Amino acid sequence: MSLFDKFKDVAAIRRGLDGSRVSPMATPMQVLHSATEATIDGRRVILAGTNNYLGLTFHPEVQQAAVDALRSSGTGTTGSRMANGSYTLHTDLEAAFAEAYGWPSAMVFSTGYQANLGAISALAGPDDFILADADSHSSINDGCRLGTATVLRFRHNDPESLDKRLGRLGEGAKRALVIVEGLYSMLGDRPPLREFVDVKRRHGAWLMVDEAHSFGVLGERGLGLAEHDGVLDEVDFIVGTFSKSLGSIGGFCVSPHAELELLRLTSRPYIFTASSSPSVIAGTRAALRLALAGTDLRAQLWRNIERFYSAVVAAGYTLGSRDPGPVAALVLPDTATALGHWQGLLDAGVYANLMIPPATPGGLNLLRISLSAAHTDAQIDHITGALQDLAHRFDLPQAKAG
Amino acid sequence: MTETPSPQQDPAAVERAVRAAIAVVAPGKDGVASDAELMAQVGLSSLQVMDMVMEIEDQLDLSVPVNVLGEVRTIGQLTAALIKLSEEPKP
Repeated sequence: MSLFDKFKDVAAIRRGLDGSRVSPMATPMQVLHSATEATIDGRRVILAGTNNYLGLTFHPEVQQAAVDALRSSGTGTTGSRMANGSYTLHTDLEAAFAEAYGWPSAMVFSTGYQANLGAISALAGPDDFILADADSHSSINDGCRLGTATVLRFRHNDPESLDKRLGRLGEGAKRALVIVEGLYSMLGDRPPLREFVDVKRRHGAWLMVDEAHSFGVLGERGLGLAEHDGVLDEVDFIVGTFSKSLGSIGGFCVSPHAELELLRLTSRPYIFTASSSPSVIAGTRAALRLALAGTDLRAQLWRNIERFYSAVVAAGYTLGSRDPGPVAALVLPDTATALGHWQGLLDAGVYANLMIPPATPGGLNLLRISLSAAHTDAQIDHITGALQDLAHRFDLPQAKAG
Repeated sequence: MTETPSPQQDPAAVERAVRAAIAVVAPGKDGVASDAELMAQVGLSSLQVMDMVMEIEDQLDLSVPVNVLGEVRTIGQLTAALIKLSEEPKP
């Protein structure tokens, strides 16, 4: 008997990946050269498995802002926002988020994970309900578990399934928080947000949109899917992260309801952790400025997305989403083929993400490619060229048909 | 609040709905014993359990909070939990 007995299934999964020279899990990155290149296993490779959608991690203005704050304000705050960890840097960043949305309140959390934990667990109390999409990110599920609300799930991207569940709540629907994501990171698909808005409005429920993967990417100013779909006025809370388009680490929650401010006194993941380091906040502030004004960055990202999608579809791959987007999930027939693709891409000088059961919806085996505005045409062509070779090597039926 | 017994309160009907839901999320596994553990013995993943619950909700027109699943391990326990849920007053 051991405390570790319960991990025998996960140990078996790990053993199954042991044959690879470089581990697809927690892949060691030895040197970072730019937003799109790193040294892995002693070789320089193209990064096609990051969330660096706007490619801002090495942007000179972002780096300079972080360095300046490191020099002027020190390495860390050594305390909670509630105590000694609220610098002008933090409150200025919150004001910038509030201003971007034109809303009265914005809160910054130390990670994106904590933004969901902090907002969800505090907003929905014991008499309230949470209705979350079945494919929600773990930070949403964990926020539900940390809180005390009654949690129900509706079918992925299915407004009718939400409608039925809100209907069963009757008057309780007015105390229900509906949670959807702007872009789902496993398959790269998006929700029918306008239809969800219609349903929640009909039942008088509240709506939270997690724009972790869509912030910076969708909408004229990059505010996310709610902006893209023209429904910002219908949203009660938007949560997001700094660790994707904004290239640092942290999270935010913004709301048209000024009462969001009360979460500063009630949200445990906000209170019982140290606030972000000055350099992180200053870098994020610079990145936010670039992201909001980054029409050209978004245009470049979407050109890269189109270039990538048209090539892999022509190569015969099936993608997890009909809508092209920055997350392209190649759906592969089994784990061995997915692992073979991951290794094959690395051998060809490309790092991607391997996604296998039980972490994936529907037990799918996925190779996930994330695109960045910083990718050059030559890099995209290198990635798609390697995938064309792999489609033939693995004799994918779609490749033969094509 | 219901005065006539609803199908949600008939144990046999509820168990049929549970088995029908298992058949949808894990074809071929719906014939297991009532005391078989859904995850450890039937082999459902946590995601399949969640999908099964949504199937049951739709078949029985009943809300099943995720929190209820914490103490449920077998088909029999799930059936009992669903019957108890259906007897609770609506919010």
